[in-house]
Amino acid sequence: MTELPERLLSMMDTLSASPALAIGLTLGAFFAGNWGFARMGRPLWLPPVVLSAVLLSATIAVLSLDYARYQDGAEWLRVLLGPATVALGIPLYQQMHHIRALWRPILCTLPLAATLAAVYAVVIAWGLGATPEVLASLAPKSVTAPIAIGITKELGGSVPLMMGGLLITGVVATLFVDLLSGLLSISDERIRGFALGLNGHAIGTARAFEISPTAGAFASLGMGLTGVFTALILPLVFHL
Amino acid sequence: MPMLRGFLILVLFFLLGEAVRLVFLLPVSGGVLGMMAMTLTLMVTGGVSEELASASQGLISVLVLLIMPGVVGVFFTADQFQGQWLAVGAALLVGTFLSVLTTLLLMKFLIRAGTRSQAND
Repeated sequence: MTELPERLLSMMDTLSASPALAIGLTLGAFFAGNWGFARMGRPLWLPPVVLSAVLLSATIAVLSLDYARYQDGAEWLRVLLGPATVALGIPLYQQMHHIRALWRPILCTLPLAATLAAVYAVVIAWGLGATPEVLASLAPKSVTAPIAIGITKELGGSVPLMMGGLLITGVVATLFVDLLSGLLSISDERIRGFALGLNGHAIGTARAFEISPTAGAFASLGMGLTGVFTALILPLVFHL
Repeated sequence: MPMLRGFLILVLFFLLGEAVRLVFLLPVSGGVLGMMAMTLTLMVTGGVSEELASASQGLISVLVLLIMPGVVGVFFTADQFQGQWLAVGAALLVGTFLSVLTTLLLMKFLIRAGTRSQAND
């Protein structure tokens, strides 16, 4: 008969080997983050994703779970990211009439703005003495996660650093779109949505759907086009 | 059940996107290729079924949940990038500020130019 503490330890070990624990923790942190966000009066500067991510990291640390093991388990959730990206095609189709009306400004803005989103960050970091690995992790900061992972690997960056950069970029892009569209008196939700998706990927797009379905569709478009464009251009530019 | 049927369609389009990516060695994710294929298909067939709409709404509303596992990684690799945080922080904050400003100004300017030229036609 083994002692209770020993059995507790081996229980934790067995549980953390199954994806159920990782999924349960992630879902729990997701709901707790949303709940806390609503309780705090929905502050724009602290979106639920940050709250949830901090809670989740703290829980993993407190339970002293192995981070790599958590990742393996959570892979089950990450697999859904692919179909979720496909799902963005549906609002895109539903809002096609709005998008058609603006195709010219969209096609002119996109290449320049998406390139600059990467260039500004890389130049600033390079000026402050960042290593090539860090630069390669920052370059795809405005690109949606499933594409950005591929880009960063190809450029030789760190995926965890890139994901952290993605999170911060999404959050501050949401804040800046709000702030600057107020200052520039831009009330057109199509422009705000497009800027949210182009600069703030999935986090900006989630915010755009809160504004309106039209803003959400423009954000999906901005996110999709930025992802495709950056994936094609960045590896070419970076190797020069 | 209807939602699952919609989910099956999304998964099939994702697999299609992945297949195209692998066969043509494209640097774009299967999800985005699938999204493009989905939009084109809907434009041809001309309608979204209820099952597809409910499955996509469900997934879009939990988009943030799906990136969380990746996001928490940064807290566990933080010490690897000591001395780089000022550069990282400045690049993310200032860089994003500038790129948002660029996007908004460009769109505002181009849309206004577009409506003006239309008025002149």
